[in-house]
Amino acid sequence: MRDLSVSFATRQGVVRAVDGLSLDVAAREVVGIVGESGSGKSVAMYSMLGLVRDANATISGSVVFEGREILGLPDKEMQPLRGGQIGMIFQDPMTALTPVFSVGWQIVEQIRQHTDMTKGQAKARAIELLAEVGIPDARRRVDSFPHEFSGGMRQRVVIAMALSCNPRLLIADEPTTALDVTTQAQILELMGRLRDTHGSSIVIITHDMGVIAEMADRVTVMYAGRPVESGPEVDVVRAPRHPYTWGLLGAVPRLGERSERLATIPGNVMSPLEVPEGCAFAPRCEYAMAQCAQRPALTGTGHQHACWLGEEQRVAIRSDGKGAP
Amino acid sequence: MFSFVLRRLASAVLVMFSISVMVFLIFFATPGVNPAARIAGRSASPQVLAQVSAEFGLNRPLPVRYGLMMWHLFFKQDLTSYVNIGVKVIPQITGAAPVTLSLVLGAAVIWLVVGVLGGLVAAANRGRWIDPLIMFGGIAAVSIPVFWLGQVVGLLTQTKFHSVFRWLPGSGYVSFTQSPGQWALHLLLPWLTLATLYAGVYARVLRAELVNAMNEDYVRTARAKGLSERRILMRHALRCSLISVVSLFGLDFGSLVGGAALLTEVVFGLPGIGMLTDTSLQNLDLPVIMACVMYGAFFIVAASAVVDVLYAVLDPRVRVVK
Amino acid sequence: MSDEVLLRATDVVKSFQVRGGKVGSKKTATAVNGVSVDILRGETLGIVGESGCGKSTLARCLVQLLPVTSGSVEFRGTTLTGLSRRQLRPFRHEMQLVFQDPYASLNPRRTVGDIVADPLRINRFGTSAQIDARVRELFVTVGLDPSYVQRYPHEFSGGQRQRIGIARSLGLNPSLVVADEPVSALDVSVQAQVLNLMADLQDELKLTYLFIAHDLGVVRHVSDRVGVMYLGQLVELADADVLYDEPLHPYTEALLSAVPQLNDGTEVERERIVLSGDVPDPAERPLGCPFHPRCAYATDECRSEDPALVEIRPRRFVACHHPLALTHNIGKDTA
Repeated sequence: MRDLSVSFATRQGVVRAVDGLSLDVAAREVVGIVGESGSGKSVAMYSMLGLVRDANATISGSVVFEGREILGLPDKEMQPLRGGQIGMIFQDPMTALTPVFSVGWQIVEQIRQHTDMTKGQAKARAIELLAEVGIPDARRRVDSFPHEFSGGMRQRVVIAMALSCNPRLLIADEPTTALDVTTQAQILELMGRLRDTHGSSIVIITHDMGVIAEMADRVTVMYAGRPVESGPEVDVVRAPRHPYTWGLLGAVPRLGERSERLATIPGNVMSPLEVPEGCAFAPRCEYAMAQCAQRPALTGTGHQHACWLGEEQRVAIRSDGKGAP
Repeated sequence: MFSFVLRRLASAVLVMFSISVMVFLIFFATPGVNPAARIAGRSASPQVLAQVSAEFGLNRPLPVRYGLMMWHLFFKQDLTSYVNIGVKVIPQITGAAPVTLSLVLGAAVIWLVVGVLGGLVAAANRGRWIDPLIMFGGIAAVSIPVFWLGQVVGLLTQTKFHSVFRWLPGSGYVSFTQSPGQWALHLLLPWLTLATLYAGVYARVLRAELVNAMNEDYVRTARAKGLSERRILMRHALRCSLISVVSLFGLDFGSLVGGAALLTEVVFGLPGIGMLTDTSLQNLDLPVIMACVMYGAFFIVAASAVVDVLYAVLDPRVRVVK
Repeated sequence: MSDEVLLRATDVVKSFQVRGGKVGSKKTATAVNGVSVDILRGETLGIVGESGCGKSTLARCLVQLLPVTSGSVEFRGTTLTGLSRRQLRPFRHEMQLVFQDPYASLNPRRTVGDIVADPLRINRFGTSAQIDARVRELFVTVGLDPSYVQRYPHEFSGGQRQRIGIARSLGLNPSLVVADEPVSALDVSVQAQVLNLMADLQDELKLTYLFIAHDLGVVRHVSDRVGVMYLGQLVELADADVLYDEPLHPYTEALLSAVPQLNDGTEVERERIVLSGDVPDPAERPLGCPFHPRCAYATDECRSEDPALVEIRPRRFVACHHPLALTHNIGKDTA
């Protein structure tokens, strides 16, 4: 993905929901996108698949999937990709399934959309998939309706469905946010296992650095639609460079130590209409300086960041104990 | 599923019983009136009054009176109208019911087809010119009063352009068993007139439901599955949206069959239940009124029971006990 | 924190009638099954458990929003259970709730100033001028601009709404604030702000918190003591540090291991224990220990007998036949 931008024309002005996002996903790789709600991480993924169906949206940039430009493809050509080569998992498993059809029916529908299987074959495959994602008694449960499953089980159904056509790429939008910690652990473990068995690449979208640390090989941190830091997970989590990443990491309550206060990022994610010309994070940044009125580019190789702070300043701040997670 | 149907039917029977008790109490146990006079009608002779008293056990306790009344009404079927002396009540109802049923059934088919199609086409073309056009048509259809539309249609076809509509018969009713062709021809205009209002309502309701449904998360999932927009609309969104249309339909159908089609019946001279109720009300013909009320209640209860079962077919969540 | 008991629950049971699958059959779902717990003045007691474990129901029973099926709740030595609405009234302002969903728990058609003023008006706090002044004061307390009082909930972000919810709960100077998943609907960074605010308020206003959440990281961060609930029962209750360092109940161990780790060198490495299956239906609770179907260490004893919550060491309660650190880790301890 190169320089993806999505903007919406609203009555109050143009909202740049995604602003120059680039992303590479290698085969069998797990890439995390992290940021607060409203940072544009979901919109980026939806627009990539042509799921942003708003007449006021303008999408630019380039998305190349397996050597082919897919951004802006007409619906007809996009449909075989969606659900076929690219599967999606959504945040809220309670509403992501059509309530009036059995889960088996919904999986069969997708399989038959993308393959020539007969109903019987597709149903057998659906049972296989449900068993694979850990639904007990899949043969019987295939005829159950979504409301008969718990949240965690429904998310497994959604995952089974996303995997049904052996997608090359799996996009998971906050797949565990609506779930309990124990269920989250189950789902993350399942996704890791399926990556190994199915060989799909995964893009996981979340606001929780903990999930990233568990799952991702590489991570991109987004703020106000822009990438602010990007690199291998280990580097970003252990040696974060952008003040926003410091804040995100500091905000995670640790089991290990009980500090009196959690590090916070002052203020809220700003209205997308008020994003400044320069560094988007500057208004909330403790270390903002004059230079921040200009927009910093994403620099570096491997571990990239978009911040004017110099290496020495960063080290000084961090060794002060400030901004340390 | 089976136990659900059974439970629903049992509760329908219970509701029917309660309604019959209430109707009975209102008509024949209001204090301060002589029930015999109510049944016998105005200016009945003392002999008739005494006969009625004996027949309905009016000097016996209430439960017995209720039982006798129901016995006469449903099983012996010899409850007689005391205004048109000697005319039995039940045959009047059974004579009028097919007329109303024919009218409402035919109209229902038309308004369901037109309404659902209209709603679907409007929702599928949201943002294009055809959507507001259909919606405007809908609101216009809802706003036209039935009696006016009926009169105008009658006027146009029977007088103004009679030469064009020569093949259309005048008002009146021909039973289906007599001549199916004439039956349909006679009912054509009433059907269309009655269906207009409801088609408008249904198209608007369904469109609103569909538009809502298309913004649901499960539709997003369906798109991510790679389904075509058409399939998403026709399968996923429509199935969920039909639920509210079905509940609306149950109420409308029940009340229309129960006598609410009165206006259409009067305008087109169809001797249906609405007309019967109207006449008996004007004559204060209590036995007939009571029978009409019971009959209407029966259809409303029956229709809502059928709707609930349909609901369960459409929406698996309902099958679990509420 | 003192040793004064602010609220004492003794063997609280709350069950609901649910209809079964067959005609007329009814089942009893026991959401809270015999919970006894003391809340000490000035402490934060955290209650943690998966959804459906009865923690919210317990909270509502403790503050008398739901009548208990059996058992008793004492507040400052007065038994609340069995009191009439009128008799409960003086206690209502002492116990306030903060809810999970800041989007659903504020009436969208009323200004936030009115929302915060409501409890004051209902309890005849004073003249309308006094109430206005108090509302503005509360806004300042929770870190909101008092000029926002005329705005409506939809104009605020999730974190700000939760601040409004907190302001509403503080109006009548409660001594106990029950927070039911107050941050689970918020982003991590906003969650940290709200948690910090709650900590500040506790110091400033000498509040006692009952803090309910499913995220052990959050609970651990805010709580002095933590109770772990499973299927309507407390399975472990201990000081937060102790519970974290040495979980005794296998369920606590599993919960701890499920919290995503940053692996940045600040945390103890835990072996991930992924529990299989879901929490059982409270209408069909298993015989014996409620956790045994999902427990790796279950024995025949666990399958037949429900262990009681016992004070195994001072201030450490656990309901398990085979508490972990005491049995499985014996080798480690002596080595």
